[in-house]
Amino acid sequence: MTAVDDRPQAASTHEVGRDRRRKEDQRLITGRTRWTDNLVLPGMLHLAMVRSPLAHARITGIDTTAARQAPGVIAVLTGEDVKDLQGSLPCAWPITEDQKAPPHPAIAVDRVAFSGEVVAVVAARSSAAARDAAELVDVDYEDLPAALDLRSAAQDDTLAHPDLGTNRSATWVFDSAEAGTGSSVEDAIAEADVVVEREFRQQRLIPAFMEPRSTVVDPTGEQFVMWSATQVPHILRLMLAMTLGVDEGKVRVIAPDVGGGFGGKLQVTPEEIITFLVARHTGKPCKWTETRSESLLSAHHGRDQWQKLTLAAKADGTVTGLKVELLADMGAYLGLVTPGVPILGAFMFNSIYKFPAYHFSCTNVFTNKTWTDAYRGAGRPEATFAIERIMDELALELGRDPMEVREQNWITHEEFPFTTVCGLEYDSGNYEAATERAKELFGYDELRAEQRRRRESGDRVQLGLGISTFTEMCGLAPSRVLGSLNYGAGGWEHASVRMLPTGKVEVITGSSAHGQGHETAWSQIVADQLGVPFEDVEVLHGDTQISHKGLDTYGSRSLVVGGQAVINAAKKVIEKARPLAAYQLEANPDDLEFRDGKFTVKGAGADQEGVGLAGLALAVFAAHDLPEGMEPSLDADATFDPVNFSFPHGTHLCAMEVDTETGATTMRSYVCVDDIGNVVNPLIVEGQVHGGLVQGIAQALWEEAVYDDQGTLVSGSFVDYTLPTTADTITFVTDRTTSPATSNDLGVKGVGEAGCIASTPAVVNAVLDAIRQFGVKDIVMPCTPERVWRAIQDGTAGAMSETAGAAAGHFAEGEPNQDPPGAGSAPAAGTTQEGGQA
Amino acid sequence: MAMELHHTFTVDAPPEATWALLTDLEQVGGCFPGATVTSATDAEFTGNVKVKLGPIGVTYQGEGRFVERDDEAHRAVIEGLGKGLRGLGNASAKVVLQLEPDGDGTKADVATSLNITGKPAQFGRGVMQTVSDKLLGQFVECIEGKLTS
Repeated sequence: MTAVDDRPQAASTHEVGRDRRRKEDQRLITGRTRWTDNLVLPGMLHLAMVRSPLAHARITGIDTTAARQAPGVIAVLTGEDVKDLQGSLPCAWPITEDQKAPPHPAIAVDRVAFSGEVVAVVAARSSAAARDAAELVDVDYEDLPAALDLRSAAQDDTLAHPDLGTNRSATWVFDSAEAGTGSSVEDAIAEADVVVEREFRQQRLIPAFMEPRSTVVDPTGEQFVMWSATQVPHILRLMLAMTLGVDEGKVRVIAPDVGGGFGGKLQVTPEEIITFLVARHTGKPCKWTETRSESLLSAHHGRDQWQKLTLAAKADGTVTGLKVELLADMGAYLGLVTPGVPILGAFMFNSIYKFPAYHFSCTNVFTNKTWTDAYRGAGRPEATFAIERIMDELALELGRDPMEVREQNWITHEEFPFTTVCGLEYDSGNYEAATERAKELFGYDELRAEQRRRRESGDRVQLGLGISTFTEMCGLAPSRVLGSLNYGAGGWEHASVRMLPTGKVEVITGSSAHGQGHETAWSQIVADQLGVPFEDVEVLHGDTQISHKGLDTYGSRSLVVGGQAVINAAKKVIEKARPLAAYQLEANPDDLEFRDGKFTVKGAGADQEGVGLAGLALAVFAAHDLPEGMEPSLDADATFDPVNFSFPHGTHLCAMEVDTETGATTMRSYVCVDDIGNVVNPLIVEGQVHGGLVQGIAQALWEEAVYDDQGTLVSGSFVDYTLPTTADTITFVTDRTTSPATSNDLGVKGVGEAGCIASTPAVVNAVLDAIRQFGVKDIVMPCTPERVWRAIQDGTAGAMSETAGAAAGHFAEGEPNQDPPGAGSAPAAGTTQEGGQA
Repeated sequence: MAMELHHTFTVDAPPEATWALLTDLEQVGGCFPGATVTSATDAEFTGNVKVKLGPIGVTYQGEGRFVERDDEAHRAVIEGLGKGLRGLGNASAKVVLQLEPDGDGTKADVATSLNITGKPAQFGRGVMQTVSDKLLGQFVECIEGKLTS
C-alpha cells in the first residue's frame, strides 16, 4: 500500500455528476440525422416480405408467377430458393447440453411455425411496387394443429414442431443445496410454520421501439455493408459471418442513430439475413423497412411465463426457503438469447431477502407464436414481480404490514458485501436508506390512514398501496460467469481513446448506443479523466469499421462495463504521455502528477506552467523530439472484463385508486428512490427512470399480446396493443440514495432497466391492496378495468347488489342503442384472453 | 378466430320448395352477397366471395361440399374452405342447415362455425357478427325472391 501522499491525485470531477443536455439531441430533434430508412443508395431495391397468416401449416405450394410479372419487380425468392444458403438463425445461448430446438430458417421452406413467419421476399424498384407484388405471391397451406397455450403445450398435447417430438426445449435447474450456497428448500418447506404458494402469470409483451426495424445492404463494394437499426452491430457482424459462411472481414455493419431498442433490437433477425441474401443475389443495394404491423407481429416478443412460487417462513415472519418453478414460452423458435432470458431471472427471485434455501427450475416450451427474447430487464422484471407479489402474500398470511415483513427479511446495510443464496456477491447497498426516503416522499403512514378511512366509510373509490423493494443484476457480464452459463460469448467491452494533433479527443466505444445518450456521458467521463473540455470529446460508435471490437448494449452494461473500458483507455493515454511530459519538463516521470489536463512536477509549486495533454499530442504528432525509444502515439485501447455484476436497488411505492363500481384504476402517486450508485448525468438517469417506469406500469395495467384460438395476433396494432403515452401517466416523484458500486472506478451500477423492473409489482400490489377486502386474491396482468371489476364481482365478499331497476331504465326493452338480441350475439367467442381473471 | 354464428329466418314457401332451392348450390350461391359460384354439382361447388370486414376487404376463393344431406329430415351439413387472396389468410366454415315447417312457410335454422385467420381475424373480429347479420338479411331477401317469383 502506498502512502496517501504519494498517490497521484484523482482527476477532479467537473463533468461527472453534471446534468449536461445531451449532445446527440440536436441532430435528433432537428431531424438532421439519418435513420436507416433514410438511406438511399444508387440503384437500390426495396424489399417486402410475404408472411404466413397461419400459426402452423405445411407449405404445399408457392406460385410467384404473378408477383414476378408485376411492374418494377426484380426478384422473388422463396425458402426453396435460399434453403441451402440461408443457414439457421443463431441462438447464442443453449442453456443445457441437451437443449432441443428446431432449425430456424430466415425464410420458411416447407412449414411455417407462427403467424407472421416469412415465406417469400419480393425485391422491386420501389417499396410500393414490392408491397403490391408481395400480395400476388400465392401460397398454398395445409393447416396443422397449433400449440398455442403455454401450459398445455408443456404437456405436449399438440406439437409446435412435430419433428422435435416434444415442445419442451430444456429444463434448467439451480438448487442451493446442490450448489453448496444454501440449504435444502424441501427441508425448509417441511419444517415451515407458514407456507405460501402462488402462481403468477407474466403476460406476453411486445417491445415497441420508436423507430421500426430497418436494414440496408450494399453488396457493391469490397465489403458487404449492412446498415441496421440494431442494438448489436458487432454481434450481428459475427453472426452474419457464421450463419452465411461469409468471411468476417468482408462484412461491415453500421448501426446509425437507432430509435430505441429495449431488447427488441438485440437480435439477428430473419429480415437482416434475407436483405443480405437478396442483395447478394441481385448484386444491388437492398432496403427493407418494416411496417408497425409487421413489427408487432414478427419482431420478437417478451416475457410470457407461468411462475409458481412456494415460500416457506417461520411464524414470526422470517423467510426460510423459496422454490420457484417456471414455464417459459419460447414461441416458435429460439432467437439470439431466447432460452437464456428466463435464466437471467434465476439469480434474482431471492432478491434483497435472506433466504437460506432456494430452488429454481425453468422449463422452456415451444408454441406456435412469435418467438420471445430479451425485453427491457429480461428475466429480472419477471423475478422481481413474483417475489414482490409473494412477499405481500406472506404479509397477508401473517396479518402484518407488507413493509415490515420486508424489513424483517432484507439484507441490512451492515451486512454488505453479502453473498446470496445463489452465490452472487452483492457489493453494496442500503435498503433501509432508500426505503426511508421513499416512505417520507410518499407519505406512507398518512396514505395508510386514508386507506383505512375509505374502507371504513365504504367509499366507492378505494385506495391501495403497493410496495416494490427490488434489486437487479446489471452490467452483463463477467465473462467467466457467462461461460459457466453456456453463453456463447464473453461480457467484456472495448474502448479506444485517440489524441488528435489539435488536442481534441476521439473516443471509440464498443457500447453501441441506440438512444441512451452515450455520446454525452462518455464525453463527461473522458473530459474528467483527461482534463479536456466536454466539447472537445467526440464519441464514435456503431460502425464495425470504426469501432472494430465490442459487445454492444443490453443488460444495463454500457456504463458499468463500457464506461470502465473508456476510463481504462484514458488512463493508458495519460501513462503513455507521462514519459514525454517528463522529458519536456526535465523531471523524473515518477515525480509528475496529472491533473486537470496537465502534468506538473510534484512539490514545484502551484504557479508552475507544466505541460498540457494537447501540447503533448501535437508533439507526438510531429514526433520531432521524443524521448529515446518512444512510440509516436498517445492513443490507447482497453478491453475491460468485469469481475462482478453491479446491483442497483431501490424502493418503489405506488398508490392506486380503484373505482369499485367500474373497475377503473387511477394512479394517485408514484414514488421511487433508486440507488444506482454514483451518477454521471442526472438528466439522463431521470429519463431512463421515467421511461422504465412507464414501461413497467404498462405491463401492470395496459399491455398484452393477445392471440386468438387460431394463433392470430389480434393485438397487432396500436389500437389493440395499448401502449401508453404521457397522457396516461402521472408526474412521478423520483429521488436517489447512493451507495457506490465497488466493481468499477466510477462507482456506478446501471439504470437502464431499473424502472421497468421495479414498477410492475408496485402497481399490481397497490391495485390488489385496494380491493382485497372484497376477497380478491389475484388479478392477472394487465389489470384492465374489466378484470378488476370481475375480480371484485367474483371475490368472496365482492358481489354487488343488483342494480336497482330505476337506475337501469335505459336498458329496458324498446330503448335505443341496444345490441340486437339473439343467441349468436356473443362476438369472438373463441378469442382467448389468456389468463383472464384467475 | 373461431366463431359460432347462429341465424334463423322464415320464408313464405313450403319446406319442400325451400329445401330444393337451398340445396341447389348454384342458386344459393348466387344469392349470397358478393359471391360468385364458378362451378357446382349436386355435391360440391367452387367459387369466390368478396367480403368487407371493417377496414379489411377480402376475397375468399374456395370450394364447398355437402358432408351430410338428409332430404327427408331437411337437414344438411356443408363444409367450405376459402383461401383469402392477397395473402389475407384462410376461412373455413361448417354450416348446419335445418328446415322446419312454420305455418304455411318454412323456418330455417342456420348454425355456422367459422374459422378465420390473418388480418381479417385481427381487424374484423369486432364487426363479424354485424357483417354476417347484414349479409344474411340480404341472402334471405334473395332466397325469398326466388321462392315467390
